Amino acid sequence: MTPPDKSGLDAIEEGPVPSAAVGPTVAGAPADPSGHPSVAALFGRFGSAVLHHGVSAGSQHVVHVEPARSLEILGWLRDDPAHRYDLLADVTAVDHGGGRPLEVVYQLWSIPHRRALRVKCLLPLDALEVDSVVGLWNAANWLEREVYDLFGITFRGHPDLRRILMPMDYAEGHPLRKDFPLRGRFSRAEQTRRALAQDLEKFYTPHDIEIGREPQQVTLPVPPASGSQGPGAES
Amino acid sequence: MGVNLPGVGASAASGGILGPGSPAFLTTKIDFVVNWSRRSSLWPMPFGTACCAIEMMAAFATDYDLSRFGMERMSFSPRQADVLICAGRVPYKLAPVLRRIWDQMPQPKWCVSMGACASTGGVFDVYSMVQGIDTIVPVDVYVPGCPPRPEGLIYALMMIQEKIRQESLTKHFELRAEDPARAARPRASDTEVGALTGPFGNSTQQNQLTGGVEVEAARGSDDLIL
Repeated sequence: MTPPDKSGLDAIEEGPVPSAAVGPTVAGAPADPSGHPSVAALFGRFGSAVLHHGVSAGSQHVVHVEPARSLEILGWLRDDPAHRYDLLADVTAVDHGGGRPLEVVYQLWSIPHRRALRVKCLLPLDALEVDSVVGLWNAANWLEREVYDLFGITFRGHPDLRRILMPMDYAEGHPLRKDFPLRGRFSRAEQTRRALAQDLEKFYTPHDIEIGREPQQVTLPVPPASGSQGPGAES
Repeated sequence: MGVNLPGVGASAASGGILGPGSPAFLTTKIDFVVNWSRRSSLWPMPFGTACCAIEMMAAFATDYDLSRFGMERMSFSPRQADVLICAGRVPYKLAPVLRRIWDQMPQPKWCVSMGACASTGGVFDVYSMVQGIDTIVPVDVYVPGCPPRPEGLIYALMMIQEKIRQESLTKHFELRAEDPARAARPRASDTEVGALTGPFGNSTQQNQLTGGVEVEAARGSDDLIL
């Protein structure tokens, strides 16, 4: 980190400092599992597959699970009637640099129980693969594509795993990794040349472009049968 | 009636273009007429990608009212536009789109690069951002600012009008020459792109060679610009 005697603009002149290589885990201090019913249940049911539990930002319970069993654990969290995490708010990833493993983060919310839980999988840099959760939450589809695009994590079983934000033929790697240089790997001239040489029709069919315009099937609520005076009925 | 001199062809009875007794026709220079009509009916093609576009909208709205200057109509089809106003940052993924829009505009055409991001990349000196649209399309006027005020955009368009006023048809095609074979190719040469997009400020520590990054892929060709 920045030496303490440098401050303000002097510190800026130093430029970024590569993160120091430290231990393999980035988990915080363990917390009391009894503070969150789902965490306690996870420990009881999955035991050793739940690697770590901590509390972040006051009340956000974070659970680290074994990547090999993540699909099973997340599926149980979604389906068990006592937990029912039916809303997947976000799938993202964190690279802490310094050779530390990448974290895949699942941010869950249970609408019936009004409860949040954050599940993390730590993936070592030489095994960046985890099961896709598109089968559980459809919302994960584009989110996992984004994580794949920017971090290079492969999601096993994803129906359509390809880049989503960067150009389809982007050849410089995965930009949000800590070892990715800020200005990219190629020279600006090469980047400009590649950008202008993009063949858009090769990657986007007319169907892709039109897909947002397909007529949506709208199901209106059934009006109350004639005779019964519903709250919205005119009288 | 009196003598019928050239240019004084009208009689008092029929009336000239400025009233009875005045000339029925005027002589002028073709350059003046052509440039006058061109600069008085510039139709902008708005290519707004970010916050600059908000200021551009303000410039077109009633308070600033660009219609006064002949920008009567925002042309959302590039085929009926004269000025491309690129307002906002342009990522590399959008670069071919911008280039194609420019190629679709009929001659004569002009380009305004509005704001710091469109002109230089601005603070976005990163892997994904075009470092100045002049590496992709030719730019006539750059508007500094982040974002520029509507007055800035109006001034830029008035500068384009002034540029048009000074054009002449004898030099026009030379000025506006465009090689169709270079469509969808970088506007600037590799050296120019490197010079235009060199690292500056805080990003000088973060060029392609720091951080132990593999640069062999780019070193094969002569395009490694530091």
